[in-house]
Amino acid sequence: MEDAVSQPSPGIGKVISRMHGSTLGQKALMAVSGIALIAFSFGHMAGHLQMFVGAEQYNTYAHFLQSMGGIKWAIRFGLVALTFLHIFSAVQVSMRNRAARPIAYANNKWIAASLGSKTMRASGGIVLFFIGYHILHFTTLTVGTAGFEKIPEYKLINGLMVDDVYRRMVVSFQNPLLAIGYITGVALLGLHLSHGIQSSLQTLGVLNSAYRPFFKKLGPALAGFLFAGFAIVPLAVLVGIIK
Amino acid sequence: MNLTLKIWRQKDKATPGKFETYDAKDISPDMSFLEMLDVVSERAQANGQEPCAFDHDCREGICGMCSLVINGVPHGPEAATTTCQLHMRKFKDGDNIVIEPWRASAFPVLRDLVVDRSAFDRIQQKGGFVSINTGGTPDGNAIPISKKEADLAMDAASCIGCGACVAACKNASAMLFVGAKVSQYMHLPQGQAERSRRVLAMVEQHDAEGFGACSNLQECEAVCPKEISVRVIAEMNRDYLRAALVGTDA
Repeated sequence: MEDAVSQPSPGIGKVISRMHGSTLGQKALMAVSGIALIAFSFGHMAGHLQMFVGAEQYNTYAHFLQSMGGIKWAIRFGLVALTFLHIFSAVQVSMRNRAARPIAYANNKWIAASLGSKTMRASGGIVLFFIGYHILHFTTLTVGTAGFEKIPEYKLINGLMVDDVYRRMVVSFQNPLLAIGYITGVALLGLHLSHGIQSSLQTLGVLNSAYRPFFKKLGPALAGFLFAGFAIVPLAVLVGIIK
Repeated sequence: MNLTLKIWRQKDKATPGKFETYDAKDISPDMSFLEMLDVVSERAQANGQEPCAFDHDCREGICGMCSLVINGVPHGPEAATTTCQLHMRKFKDGDNIVIEPWRASAFPVLRDLVVDRSAFDRIQQKGGFVSINTGGTPDGNAIPISKKEADLAMDAASCIGCGACVAACKNASAMLFVGAKVSQYMHLPQGQAERSRRVLAMVEQHDAEGFGACSNLQECEAVCPKEISVRVIAEMNRDYLRAALVGTDA
């Protein structure tokens, strides 16, 4: 190894090339972007649970988000950038991983791997497709909007006329196909995170021998909680609890 | 006991290999797996066939030379045991046993079940040591090391470099091996001076050899004959990120 004294400090170019070019750097980027997206998912879920409070609350909340202007666009841009970073590092790592084992085993037995951990690529790909549909559905109102045209604007208690997004959600999820599609989508997100939460913490070196067994249980539990929080809204509409 | 073996045969690095089936009759359950292969090879040789090549050395589970993926599991079905310490009593009469080499682009097959693991040597040469340039032998116990830290270092140091972690990993990643070598010195005062450069150089060499990235499935830990914990991977990750982001000096 080189002499410690003559060792220059790395410089920002070296830092970037290490983070971008090494397996551990790529994995760290995937983990950090993943954790940020998980944080967003929990906020998003909490927002949707306001459907249970009623149309006034939910439409007020939706109007508040829409009226944020520049901040709204900054968050949207940030989410797209994080998603891109997450996918970009995942593709880089996947390509490397495939090249590392050119000849598969004739006989391969799993011992420790969980279902979620073995299906990360598939669950991630389907979740990406689901998010794409979700944006086209409720944000751009491009697909799955049958019945939206009949929904009048909603009058808040303060007299403000706003989009009735509460009604849009109800109309959408009264369609069993859409409700089941959404529940499936968030189920796959849950499966992805059942491995993703603990894996990202391990990748960032946060887990030690004391934390690891705990997070091995907490990761899937948080993923299950997120799934339940998301899935309960379309389910409640489907069975008529939210009307 | 009578067994049917499906063994990977490959003439050399360049020639594609294939499975061949062998009947292993009258095998004693007290034989080790490698002794069973010795017998099968001797019989094949007596019949004018080429014996099957496989790696072995100490045959007492400490050298890291033996390998073999046996029925889909590196070092076979018994946990925390090398192939040489696996005994035929772990199998049943009439069993079919599939025997494959470690599969990784960084571990090319040299012949039959023998793979080239010199990639591990090159990683080790990048930093798996402590540089002491001069001076006499230091006094024993002159540097206090807590029992806990000594145990963590010793657990990591029990890695024999067999490569089962790579063989078990779906990505053929060697992170458990590199993690063990990094962790071993991380917990000792003597390892501190070169700590950052060690982790950067060893991970860089790991990547250059063409091993995959760790997906944290923990299959490596499950097959490791020395039961190295994936905590060494977390420790290496933490140290690598610190060294890569903050600087090369510890």
